Amino acid sequence: MDSMDASVASPDLGLGFGFPFWVASRRRFKPDDPFFASGNLERELLAKHVALDLTEDEHFQLQMMEIADANLFCPIAGCGSRLEYLEEFEDHYNTRHMASCSVCSRVYPTSRLLSIHISEVHDSFFQAKVARGFPMYECLVEGCGANLKSYKSRQRHLIDKHRFPSSFEFYKKAHPSKHQRQKLQRKAYKGGDAKDHESFMDLDAKKESKQTHPKHYRPKQELKTGTEMESEMEVETKLHHPQTTETKVETNTEAKNEKAKTETEMEVEERIDDIVSGISKLSTVDSSSPSSVSFGHRHSRGFAFVPRSVRNQNQVSKREPTRKP
Amino acid sequence: MASDDSSPSPSHSHHRDSIKSSVGNTAANRRRQQAISIGKERRDALIRAKRLCRDSIFEDDNNEKGLDEGKMVIDEEQSVLNARTAQTVQELKSSLSYQGKDATQKTIEALRALRKLLSKSEVPPIEAAIQGGAVPLLVQCLSFGSADEQLLEAAWCVTNIAAGGPEETKSLLPALPLLIAHLGEKSSVHVAEQCAWALGNVAGEDMELRSILFAQGALLPLTRLMLSNRESTARTAAWALSNLIKGPDPKAANELIRIEAITDTIVKHLKTADEELVTEVAWMVVYLSALSDKAISILVRSDVVPVLVNRLVGSASLQLLIPVLRSLGNLVAADAYITHSVLIVGNDITDQVLYGLIKCLKSEHRVLKKEALWVLSNIAAGTLEHKTLIFSSEAVPLLIDLLSAAPFEIRKEAAYTLGNICVGPTKGSDNKSDIIVTHLVPLVKGGCLPGFVNLVRSADLESARVGLIFLELVMRGYPNGEGPKLVEREDGIDAMERFQFHENQEMRNMANTLVDKYFGADYGV
Repeated sequence: MDSMDASVASPDLGLGFGFPFWVASRRRFKPDDPFFASGNLERELLAKHVALDLTEDEHFQLQMMEIADANLFCPIAGCGSRLEYLEEFEDHYNTRHMASCSVCSRVYPTSRLLSIHISEVHDSFFQAKVARGFPMYECLVEGCGANLKSYKSRQRHLIDKHRFPSSFEFYKKAHPSKHQRQKLQRKAYKGGDAKDHESFMDLDAKKESKQTHPKHYRPKQELKTGTEMESEMEVETKLHHPQTTETKVETNTEAKNEKAKTETEMEVEERIDDIVSGISKLSTVDSSSPSSVSFGHRHSRGFAFVPRSVRNQNQVSKREPTRKP
Repeated sequence: MASDDSSPSPSHSHHRDSIKSSVGNTAANRRRQQAISIGKERRDALIRAKRLCRDSIFEDDNNEKGLDEGKMVIDEEQSVLNARTAQTVQELKSSLSYQGKDATQKTIEALRALRKLLSKSEVPPIEAAIQGGAVPLLVQCLSFGSADEQLLEAAWCVTNIAAGGPEETKSLLPALPLLIAHLGEKSSVHVAEQCAWALGNVAGEDMELRSILFAQGALLPLTRLMLSNRESTARTAAWALSNLIKGPDPKAANELIRIEAITDTIVKHLKTADEELVTEVAWMVVYLSALSDKAISILVRSDVVPVLVNRLVGSASLQLLIPVLRSLGNLVAADAYITHSVLIVGNDITDQVLYGLIKCLKSEHRVLKKEALWVLSNIAAGTLEHKTLIFSSEAVPLLIDLLSAAPFEIRKEAAYTLGNICVGPTKGSDNKSDIIVTHLVPLVKGGCLPGFVNLVRSADLESARVGLIFLELVMRGYPNGEGPKLVEREDGIDAMERFQFHENQEMRNMANTLVDKYFGADYGV
């Protein structure tokens, strides 16, 4: 009966009862009103989703036809992925060669997540700020804008404010082998472009196999002596699981006495200055990928193909460590 | 591709082109061509707006042979299916802990096997998969940096699990942030699309899950995905978005309309040739216009209205017409701006709307008739010019007809429309709305009374109420006091007297008041 009120008013007839005389007015329904139920059902009945009966075989044959015909391969050195059509190249390029970290080769589905990763995992400057108590950990949800002081508190924020499941982890346990990391480490200190590119490519090619390596790595910090502590910290600051880094910082300040603490911190700061110049020369693939690509496995078939997304990039700038207040 | 000098030989490129171009269309065609018989479970899923993904979203379809039903796993007994599923999940588990050279490949194969069980079976073994521990494994498979094919297969599995019941869908909570992340612009477009599909199914479940997805930030990336040039991607994203914003909590709808250029995007998509995309975007407008006052205000002043009207007039597709019609209906219902400033009598667009609505009245589809009548009734609640416009159109005979012969829910809407045509926007000194006698008389002469009396006899109280109120109009406003006689001739007294001892107090009072006033002691004297 209430839904009628919009249509009819109830002035008093003088009889103790107000007859609801006709009033011409618009009637509005909420989206879950039963009025719309049959239309809603119709929507889904009409959007039928069909069983596909292409067998594995047929699908495979189709692919083979394509491949035999075009014989396309990704031209990025060290990649060699097979492509089905030219159009796939752009998709592939965007996926494989543009959102991966040049240091550890992790791939992210958005630039934003990649840059968050780089700050948090490879940027000592970032870690220094964290150690000084600045809120450096960005909320992962775009548009939120919150910054938290630690990985854990960012985690908590995601769970409390954005209803993430408590099992969510931004960082998985996969790591490059220690040897790889140290190799990169040395390269970073020297700050060589070409070498970075090369080493990145190494990793890229090996990416598939890397993912299958043991995923567990624990810092050996507790076993090191004081002198080795310093370099260990840098390595870990750059490449470790941030959670471990954080705990390490915490246990550092707890376990050591005041003097040692100050000492360590000072050393870190000094080292950071050295590292910064090295880090600033690190780049993601954005800058190190060729800006134009040509391929074709026969000389006569040389396409000059520039992916749209690369063409649109006017200036390719190197990555600077993010400076946050 | 744009610039190739030394292109492959003509026959090759033609061959390749024909394969490429078929991807988008034939997938849609396949859907239109085939129909699966729908069991109760599936119907329930429909009500919850879930869509099972049975075919690959990018699978090529040059091979028409594959269209026959035969390859579906229909004769497998459920228990066998469940056992196979449990086993496949175990295989997935072991491939994930395997650390050898081919681990990724093994994982992909296990995922693919699971995916097939979940998509080719008549009744997908969703429960069995969950019980077997599939969800945490799938979450692992969705981690950043995984191979595209792995992500795709995992997302596909999640999609079909999410097409299940409430408990089953809720078990996917750990996967949600990853699905959202993989919508990102760096993801393979196929992966992103499959994730969108999965999220659409999750969002379709209930408000709680919609809330969670919204809080986790699904809105923005889905909107971006909707901008894709790939039609299937844009379509899937739009559908998922519509599920996300459908409420009843308006916060997601309110947030969506705030996104810059969203209105332009909507207009652009509503104009495309791809009817399926238009349909999904129109549904987005349905929810925006139903839930968000801010959206209404923006939409009524935008190009969305003219474009919707165009579609209303030009389209023959039921699937498309429903949301288009309803969007217009919501907008007209919510904001007087439309009737007063957009659908001005004399403007082309107004004639078009009327034409489009009448077209719907003439259709055989119940939903179209009912909702078109609703829109019409709201337009008839506008200015005097609107009432006159409708009155003079070919709508009237249709209205009277529908009032008499259609199912009750349609009769009710016809009744509102006719009543609104007869009642002015202004009120007289007696504080009752003016009766437009010049409309009332022809309508009664046209034979609308029997329909109204019949409505009074309806089991539906609201219908009966509408009927009674119209009868009051006739008896009060018909010239020369002829009203009561006319009503009596149609057995109106009888119909009213049925409410004498009705359990509903208002109905009793209304009916008795009328009978007393118009058929009292001095009647007929």
